[in-house]
Amino acid sequence: MTPARRIPAWALGTALTVLLLALVWVSCLRGVASVFSPASSLRGLLATFGSAQALPGNEQLVYELILRQTLVACGVGAGLAYSGGLLQGVFRNGLASPSVLGITAGASLGATLGIMVVGGYTGGMALLDQAAKHSPLLVTASAFTGAFGVALLVAAIGGGAGRISVPTLLLVGIAINACIAGILTALQAWLMDADWQTAEAVFHWSFGNLKDKGWTQVGLVWSGVAVAALALPFVARELDLFAGGEEDAEALGVNTVRVKVVVLLCASLAASVAVAVAGQIAFVGLVVPHLVRLASGSSHRHVLPLCLLGGAVFLLGTDVAQRFVLGRDVFKPGVLMSMVGGPFFLFLLLQQRREVRTW
Amino acid sequence: MVGLVQARGLSFVYPGGVRALEEVDVAVEAGQLLAVLGPNGAGKSTLLKLLGGLLRPGEGQVLLGGERLGALSSRARARRIAVVPQALAALPDVTVRTFAGQGRYAHQGPFSRPSPGDREAVERAMAEADVADLAGRGLGELSGGQRQRALVARALAQEAELLLIDEPTNALDPEHQIAVFELIAGLAQAGRGALVVTHDLNLASQFATRVVLLDGGRKAADGSVEEVLRREVLEPVYGRHLVYTTLEGGDGRRRPVVLPWRESRAARKKHSADS
Repeated sequence: MTPARRIPAWALGTALTVLLLALVWVSCLRGVASVFSPASSLRGLLATFGSAQALPGNEQLVYELILRQTLVACGVGAGLAYSGGLLQGVFRNGLASPSVLGITAGASLGATLGIMVVGGYTGGMALLDQAAKHSPLLVTASAFTGAFGVALLVAAIGGGAGRISVPTLLLVGIAINACIAGILTALQAWLMDADWQTAEAVFHWSFGNLKDKGWTQVGLVWSGVAVAALALPFVARELDLFAGGEEDAEALGVNTVRVKVVVLLCASLAASVAVAVAGQIAFVGLVVPHLVRLASGSSHRHVLPLCLLGGAVFLLGTDVAQRFVLGRDVFKPGVLMSMVGGPFFLFLLLQQRREVRTW
Repeated sequence: MVGLVQARGLSFVYPGGVRALEEVDVAVEAGQLLAVLGPNGAGKSTLLKLLGGLLRPGEGQVLLGGERLGALSSRARARRIAVVPQALAALPDVTVRTFAGQGRYAHQGPFSRPSPGDREAVERAMAEADVADLAGRGLGELSGGQRQRALVARALAQEAELLLIDEPTNALDPEHQIAVFELIAGLAQAGRGALVVTHDLNLASQFATRVVLLDGGRKAADGSVEEVLRREVLEPVYGRHLVYTTLEGGDGRRRPVVLPWRESRAARKKHSADS
């Protein structure tokens, strides 16, 4: 098999950057109830950073809400896709992703417990409330703890060989997702009785939501993803060497234990900030790395940065498409992604059915 | 002769209690091609992994030019020891040149790009391993022999003084078996040290400068080809189904030849009567 003819990474990167900027611009032109002209959108943007006069009435507020929704969509998409790219590299399995492995479920469980502790994480304007100011950090920290816990569990089950076969991956994913879903349902049932408001907040959040975010959350998701992305120069080449097996990578001079820990930490961080801010959004972390690899090859030095761009484009793109085509956001992004990603996952499984069958 | 690697009292027990190696001493010197022989499960591959730093010995230690191997960082170790595995866990989807370039990992920092020196080393390694004309081909397109040579090229690109090679002729036809061993012998003559784990007694006979025979995790013999490839030494390890002769080798020297051969019915009867 010859390495297939591929789009050069720089060309794909440039195309995705241009597309992302265009999407951001278009996204800011239209909210659910309001439409902005390009001129007022630009003024709103400048006013956000204090370089122009604010838009009249409550328009500036509405504009900033859309701007934050746009930025959150970019950050969440980038984080999930980057996390998926890292996980697929370290487990040497193209079906691995934070949602399939249960890492986002772990983050959800952590976040839910966090929400319960702060008592009602509406994720909305309540953040402006002084009392809730520190809750996003706590929720994110507990989401990260949950995600990293699951990542370590998966690595431990994966065993010494490092590579996780498709059947192991699916079984581990099913087991972890089912366990956590059970715990979450039990928690919710209990909350319904004990604390209706928190139950509603958890319920609302669990669908995945990009709207009504504060700057704190924009900052959280972007800084989380940025920190995770800092690891890139220290893991990208190393993950390429993992392709021939962990022992082979070790023989070539890779400190495999360190790389695995860093990769799992970063994948958990990127996925958990996304989950803490926007709830569970499945399949972005599966679909994007897969498409990126198909387009530009298997080198992680290209795949990982392209995942950041591609994830942002993918999630923001579907959100914008929904707003423009349907005129309102009927589907929560989590639901929308499941509708797109579910069939894609089945398609990938069909392609790899030989490995599944021979098991 | 310069001692490249010395192992003293190496013992290793796999998790689960399988004792793979017990108190084995071994040394490889520059210019030497050391063949490690032994039946299945004798501990040959375990020994190679211990010497390569891929496993940590339960007891004993490995010294690399006097330094403790365990004290070296992964990168520093890979600059001095190159391991050629029997096969990879999976075939990377890359060209031969990219694959050989991976051998330069230990010479590069996290932010450095391949230097002209790196590129030269890769080209030189591909030429030495005779895969220069395959440089642009994908690993998946190669035959077994070509793939083996690509693995050797990657190890040569590491520019390490010691090569540890695990069963390089498995699944190769005779022509390629000779070619691979000639390549390794040439590298040893040029000053590197090579340790080759092999099942092939006759390739070892023709190319090895020294032979270590392992049996059940212990060293059963250590010496020249003529000293080890004899009935008295091999029969307790491999059993009776071998015949022994000599043939003139490529260098004009007579070399031991050992072939698996079924006994005659009379001999079998005699043995069963004896026992």
